[in-house]
Amino acid sequence: MSALVNFMTTDNLLFLLQGAGKSLLLAACALFFGLIFGILGAAAKISKHRILRIIGNIYVELIRGTPMLLQILFLYIAFPVMMRSFTGQRFIPDPYICGAVAMSINSGAYSTELIRSGINGVDKGQWEACKVLGLSYGQTMKLVILPQAFKRIIPPIVSEFITLIKDSSLISVLGATELLYSAQILGANTFNLIPPLLMSAVLYLIMTLATSYLARRVERRFAISD
Amino acid sequence: MIKVEHIVKKFKDLKAVDDVSLEIKKGEIVALIGPSGSGKSTVLRCIIGLEKPESGSVYIDNQLFDENNKETYPQLLRKMGFVFQHFNLFPHKTVLENLTLAQVQVLHEDEQKAQEMARKYLDRVGLLDKQNEYPNKLSGGQKQRVAIARALCMKPEVMLFDEPTSALDPEMVIEVLEVMQQLAKEGMTMIVVTHEMGFARTVADRVIFLESGKIVEENDAEEFFSHPKSQRAQDFLKKVMH
Repeated sequence: MSALVNFMTTDNLLFLLQGAGKSLLLAACALFFGLIFGILGAAAKISKHRILRIIGNIYVELIRGTPMLLQILFLYIAFPVMMRSFTGQRFIPDPYICGAVAMSINSGAYSTELIRSGINGVDKGQWEACKVLGLSYGQTMKLVILPQAFKRIIPPIVSEFITLIKDSSLISVLGATELLYSAQILGANTFNLIPPLLMSAVLYLIMTLATSYLARRVERRFAISD
Repeated sequence: MIKVEHIVKKFKDLKAVDDVSLEIKKGEIVALIGPSGSGKSTVLRCIIGLEKPESGSVYIDNQLFDENNKETYPQLLRKMGFVFQHFNLFPHKTVLENLTLAQVQVLHEDEQKAQEMARKYLDRVGLLDKQNEYPNKLSGGQKQRVAIARALCMKPEVMLFDEPTSALDPEMVIEVLEVMQQLAKEGMTMIVVTHEMGFARTVADRVIFLESGKIVEENDAEEFFSHPKSQRAQDFLKKVMH
């Protein structure tokens, strides 16, 4: 108990908070770009063109079928090698950018499935109404289908975000001082890992619980037109 | 105005529409009637391109209506308004937004003008006070009146109605029929797929009776209801008129 009290110095807490901030930022980036990839992926998967559907399927199956840790390592290690062989210049990847990109690509695969199921869940009559009114495919998607699809997939997107907050800890393997790695550093400094690990667990919980709470409020607001 | 030539539409092995040809002149009101499964809705959906017929063609003002013709398709489509059995209002948009969306996006009206137009038609269907409501707050009859107003905002020259009152509670039917009647009085060209025989008789100029995807009888409306020529139309009317 006294070890925990001793650990609670302003410096240590600030250090962990910084780590938490980075984790949150990584997760937010991954969610945002993941959703963009997801929209593209979903559009490919429901496209009339067979090749696009195949590309969409490969993307989803490849990413969902391999560990995220592997994807992060692969991007961090293999990508610079490829860049070097193309450009001939040395390329030093930034662990944060690399991690954010890997997480975005990963999240994009899950978002693809989410968005696709959301789009399929919108009543067929909505497409027909748009068609007879003369709206283009893009207008229909953007103004009518996606807003309704997103409304119904808010809960799974929120749990995707919560997963991303936790999965951002994987970036620690690249030496990025997100929350978990920050805790490990403090643990190594004080020769006691338990207090920083407990504190970081509390911070993870604060972030995920706050996300759930905000999501419920957003959902309630959207429910006006239900 | 609309000419349909030898349309055939199959669903799997079933011929939903079997070689149907018909012509609707400007200002005419035509009722498509027949037992359920007779293909009357499918004919209507083929006209506006919601179903792709296996063969046959649709002409609007003597021009071939073909989705692949990027030049003529939008302008020919614009001549038609379509009203669905299940309304298909946009649930995430207010009534007013439902009416302005396509005006702004398709006709490129500015928001102000689109709203003026929307309010004008909402007033005509008696729902101006609902302009800021979401569709889920409306009754079935009100939804259908909004759907009619939404179609009218696009200034169509012909209105296609696909069983507009079939999904409504009985007491809501009349308010929708009244709106349609008013439209008829103003000279709108209309094709109406309906089970409302009273409406077909009093409002339609002509009745087309279908069964098993074929036109069995085509007749002046009054004539059709008082002296149906074909045996099958006589049998059908005996069952539905009580």
